[in-house]
Amino acid sequence: MGFPYIAELPAKLYRSGSVDFVEVTPETLCRQRTAGTGGALEIVEDRVDRAREICGALPMVVHGVELSIGSAHGWNAAYLDMLDAFQASWPFVWHSEHLGFQTIPGEDGASLEVGVPLPLPPTKEAVALVADRSAAIARRYAVPFLLENPAYYIADLPCDPEIGDDIGLIAAILDRSDGCLLLDLHNVYCNAVNHGFDPFAAIDRAPLNRVVEIHVAGGSPRDGFWMDGHNGRVPERVWELLEYTLPRARHTAGVVFEVLDEFAPRLGAEAIVEQLGRIRDIWTRRRAA
Amino acid sequence: MRLLDFQTALGRLVRAPDGGDPLRTLDLGADDRSRLEALAESPGFRFTVGVQRSWCIRRAANAGYMTLSILPDNLRRRLLDEWTNSGGGTSSFFATEAEALLDFIADRLPHPSHELTACRLEQAALRANEIAARFRAPDLDRLDNARCVVRRGRYAAIVLFYGEPDLILGALLEHRPHPPVLAETTAVLFGPGLDRLYRPASGSEVTLWKRLTAPVAIPVLRREGYRRDVIETMLRAGAVEYA
Repeated sequence: MGFPYIAELPAKLYRSGSVDFVEVTPETLCRQRTAGTGGALEIVEDRVDRAREICGALPMVVHGVELSIGSAHGWNAAYLDMLDAFQASWPFVWHSEHLGFQTIPGEDGASLEVGVPLPLPPTKEAVALVADRSAAIARRYAVPFLLENPAYYIADLPCDPEIGDDIGLIAAILDRSDGCLLLDLHNVYCNAVNHGFDPFAAIDRAPLNRVVEIHVAGGSPRDGFWMDGHNGRVPERVWELLEYTLPRARHTAGVVFEVLDEFAPRLGAEAIVEQLGRIRDIWTRRRAA
Repeated sequence: MRLLDFQTALGRLVRAPDGGDPLRTLDLGADDRSRLEALAESPGFRFTVGVQRSWCIRRAANAGYMTLSILPDNLRRRLLDEWTNSGGGTSSFFATEAEALLDFIADRLPHPSHELTACRLEQAALRANEIAARFRAPDLDRLDNARCVVRRGRYAAIVLFYGEPDLILGALLEHRPHPPVLAETTAVLFGPGLDRLYRPASGSEVTLWKRLTAPVAIPVLRREGYRRDVIETMLRAGAVEYA
């Protein structure tokens, strides 16, 4: 059972026995240098030292957010340069990223942040771009590289019929790159609610033999949509999806309860431990099945 | 439609959905353009824009917390709207966002004003704090080298208060009537090598700081009468650094 490293939470949470591995977003331990460095990311040593002290001997996996692996104009090379140094100082068991893009070329050719991750269209061009990059990353770090299925709100993206939809997109990418899947069940749930499909049928179509990690999280209703907010407890329907998925995704190595830094203290350590306990219970029952 | 064109168009639409014609410089056919225009009218797109705006405003509000908190509500809201409408609030990196946002706000505040002083103070404190934990005083023997050149410290600043600093800050933070903006100023030096990151600046330090708008060789400074002990003190504070 995994949990993100959140500096604001009490250290004892990570030593309570509820957490078997920790998920670290290395960008949160970095600062961006601007002047003349092309946005280089610099690891802040004292933040890393504190994280390592809190996490102790727990195995660590990386969950990045800044790579923008799907940006056609180029991914964030500064992120990978930083990750090279990060791996040398704190080795990770595997490495994951979100399938999507969050930068575009500006009018002057420089990279512009969109401010929110956007979905890739399910096209052959997107498959080729991300699959080749994923394979390159797997070679670069010599640990499994996982792509996470995203939540998205925009319907009617351009698509190639042979790819179809978001599930077809990630399946085709993983097939071409021989990569691994981080199956975010809350994202499947969000998309099912917002776009009106059956989440269990979507899971049946996902490449479950490639699942290495599963995410569960909470969200909330907003403006007629179910929002992927990572802001609280896991909805019952997502627990049902976990029960359904675990026996079918036989290579799953861990399940992470995701919550954002800003909501974690409000949710509290007790509730977090309770959610992790529920994951452990399902894991024990359904893996045995 | 090529992936690059689609992403550029979608990204621009999300960043500035109401700002003129974000697609104007893209080489799009009529079909692609009408498809994107229809997409931009969809509920899912509008929701995505709402999420983007809320994230950008949250990042900006965190990055300029003190300055924004002392401004009147209507001015704070207008500045945040202008900032996010111009593409601000998109950086996930706090220091990057804070530096740019506080420059943006400073450009829109009256000069001189206590609010501008507070804005520059927040920027100076964040900048000095960013490297304070790993700051090491430089080797002062390098000053003996005839080719030694110094410049302003990149993580330092001198902030001018137009009146008594404690009175001004107290009034701003507690939303009390502001003291008058006086012609006489008090200079406060911020640097990563200072104990609490700041202290009052001496007249000699202010003069040296003003001189270093560009890098200057030490022999030139000495010929102009700048004292070595002042240069050394500012080097130790991180207010001056070797170029």
